[in-house]
Amino acid sequence: MMESTGMIRCEEALARLWEFLDGELPPPDEAMVKKHLDICNRCYPQYDFQRAYFEYTSRMREREHAPPALRQRLFEMILEQEANNGKAS
Amino acid sequence: MSRDAMWDMVRMAWTMLSGRTDRDVRPGRPREPRPQPEPEERAIAAEGFAEEALPWLDAVYRFSLRLTRGDQDAAEDLVQDTFLRAHRFWHTYQRGTNAKSWLFTICRNTYLHQKELVRNQRERPEADLGARVEALSAASVFDTGSADPEQAFFGALIDDRVVEAIDALPEEFHEVLVLSDLGDLKYGEIAQVLDIPVGTVKSRLFRARKLLQDRLREFAVDSGYVQETT
Repeated sequence: MMESTGMIRCEEALARLWEFLDGELPPPDEAMVKKHLDICNRCYPQYDFQRAYFEYTSRMREREHAPPALRQRLFEMILEQEANNGKAS
Repeated sequence: MSRDAMWDMVRMAWTMLSGRTDRDVRPGRPREPRPQPEPEERAIAAEGFAEEALPWLDAVYRFSLRLTRGDQDAAEDLVQDTFLRAHRFWHTYQRGTNAKSWLFTICRNTYLHQKELVRNQRERPEADLGARVEALSAASVFDTGSADPEQAFFGALIDDRVVEAIDALPEEFHEVLVLSDLGDLKYGEIAQVLDIPVGTVKSRLFRARKLLQDRLREFAVDSGYVQETT
């Protein structure tokens, strides 16, 4: 599908989709995948689904924080470790 | 309903939930902003530790939670051990390089070391019985502390199913997916943490996400987002 006029095939676009979304493709390859997704109705839903997955995991990261008590305890333990060493590391 | 049609419905449900409607193709994905140090933590004498290492506390905590498969007490212990060790060996870290990857490496090595110790202890069942009984009785009760319990409930419900699917992945796929999608590390950084080639990171990540998608699809069917017919 769509192999004329310099357009990559669906199979290739889908095979590189994760790398495209991970931002790990070299610029020329990235441009080719983007060009394909801009017009391919078959591949775009897969792209949109995977992008939604990353937006979800990003929100998961934003929601989950270390407990404040852990942060405080760790801070005190580090100061104690420095005091016991009697010098700055 | 065909498998492709069912997939389309899962995508549509996910797209609706994420609020995305129009076509908008962009490379890359949402990345975690570089966290800032807490002002009072600058009291730490080790030069640069408060600025470069401690801001990654949340990221290391999330990584620890997944390594320990959601055991909060074990995750907190792991975070403590990781940062105390990182502080002790801070002089070996080359400032301005990549503190996050360095910390994740220490965290994973510490976890693997502890796991090995536990395995050895299991081979000597009479050892440390008292300590294990004490650990069981100290297990904490879950408390969200949320001001909005309904939102916390639905948020936790969905997250729990996704986390469950992630934690059910085989170990070699689990760690690479957690480092990438939850830890927000790039391929090269994951390769560094796991001490494997970048090509192996890519192939494992590809398979891990495929397995995860299959499990999420089962969840979508089980939850009634889509109907599976023969």
